[in-house]
Amino acid sequence: MTGARADLAIAWAIARKDALSELRGRQAAGSTLFFAALVLLLFGFALGPDSRKLAEAAPGLLWLAIVFGGLLTVARLHQVETDDDALDQLARYPVDRRAIYLGKALAGLLAMAVLGGLLLPVVGIMYSVDLLAAGPGLLLTLLLGAIGFAAVGTLYAGVTVRMRAREVMLPLLMLPAIAPLLLAAVKATTAALAGDPLGEFWPWVQLLAGFDVIMLIAGGAGYGFLLEE
Amino acid sequence: MPQTTIYSAPPNSPLVPIPAVATHEVARLFGGSAALAGVSLSVERGRLVTLVGPNGAGKTTLLRILATSLRPTFGAALVDGIDVVARPELVRRRVAFLAHATGLYDDLTATENLRFAATMLGRADAADAVPATLADVGLAADADRRVRGFSAGMRRRLALGRLLLAEPSLVLLDEPHAALDADGMALVDRLLERWREGGATVMVASHHADRIMDLADGWARLDGGLLVETGGRGIGATAPALARTAPATAVADR
Repeated sequence: MTGARADLAIAWAIARKDALSELRGRQAAGSTLFFAALVLLLFGFALGPDSRKLAEAAPGLLWLAIVFGGLLTVARLHQVETDDDALDQLARYPVDRRAIYLGKALAGLLAMAVLGGLLLPVVGIMYSVDLLAAGPGLLLTLLLGAIGFAAVGTLYAGVTVRMRAREVMLPLLMLPAIAPLLLAAVKATTAALAGDPLGEFWPWVQLLAGFDVIMLIAGGAGYGFLLEE
Repeated sequence: MPQTTIYSAPPNSPLVPIPAVATHEVARLFGGSAALAGVSLSVERGRLVTLVGPNGAGKTTLLRILATSLRPTFGAALVDGIDVVARPELVRRRVAFLAHATGLYDDLTATENLRFAATMLGRADAADAVPATLADVGLAADADRRVRGFSAGMRRRLALGRLLLAEPSLVLLDEPHAALDADGMALVDRLLERWREGGATVMVASHHADRIMDLADGWARLDGGLLVETGGRGIGATAPALARTAPATAVADR
């Protein structure tokens, strides 16, 4: 097997292992979805019954719910490695560190994509937003946002996984880093939902894509150092 | 790119062969205290040697440094002539390490755990190798059970099975008999013999010195992070300051 194919096989094995653990784990993914939906509901209560105001706020609230749910998800994907010191074993396998990062990020992407996909109809119903009108633009934004979040989340979960106060440190470090992603994702979602009357959609999507590329490169380069003791 | 430190004699060289393990004044500090305080030893290829000593002697720390899980604070450690700090990726291809923690995934089955390990170790024959390995370690009947329901001894057996999937030149075992019943201990003994017959070098840290000494070529005793004495064949101190040597049988009663 060539180097690149072997690395992809390793990344896929890690992502599959994490997905199985997530699906079978006692802290099932369902609790994260429930938490994110609860965030949407509470924001809805806070904004009041004005349906126009709710619809205007929907893109921002959707992404806040994804961010809060995503923080739990990426933390849990690394929690699997701290049980029984599996991270130490993972680090000792004779494989390229970038393949390990890619595998963990892929697992994060799968989880984020499922989370975002399930939250969309919740937003649509709760905030009276016509999601079908946004069409593929919304799905593209969701995909790029999930990639960026998984890329950053995997890197910072690697930074904090050995910390005692990792539950606090992960959001503290990660939230500032994803500010550009959050801004671009909310703007692109707003434009997609409005039918892009001002032609703002593609510039924000390009920013999202650029953010993803930069973070994937940075994560691939930096994650290996985090695995070392 | 870190510089590779490989001390290597050319093929058929009359020079002394490269030892499987060589450490030079290796020390490891945790906070202000030294878990390992300058250990220099070498182990010949193909030998089975045991590390003995009380809790806190530095046995585990030494094994973890050789396995690339820990970096030495001072000194150098070489596996097959390769520096564990400068080229850990090359060392990892040569070393299999059984640590205290088994490093298994609770929500995967025994088969899934070994299949994952086989992929990570580059085994293309995982479909055949994994069932055979599970049979080797006595877990064939539990192949499809999740590890979360395993006893400590079963987890240890599965971790031993993971070692069998690797093809190491150096096997490092940290208390391999821990949590095992009589059958499990006999399994460890068989595996030790298998690795030795296969030409691998084996280093075992164990409190069951009496059990290991029957099989071991040589031994080293550590205490307080220092190498106190070595004995038998295949292992020796390389620091000028060291210590006495003793016959291999002398440690069996410790």
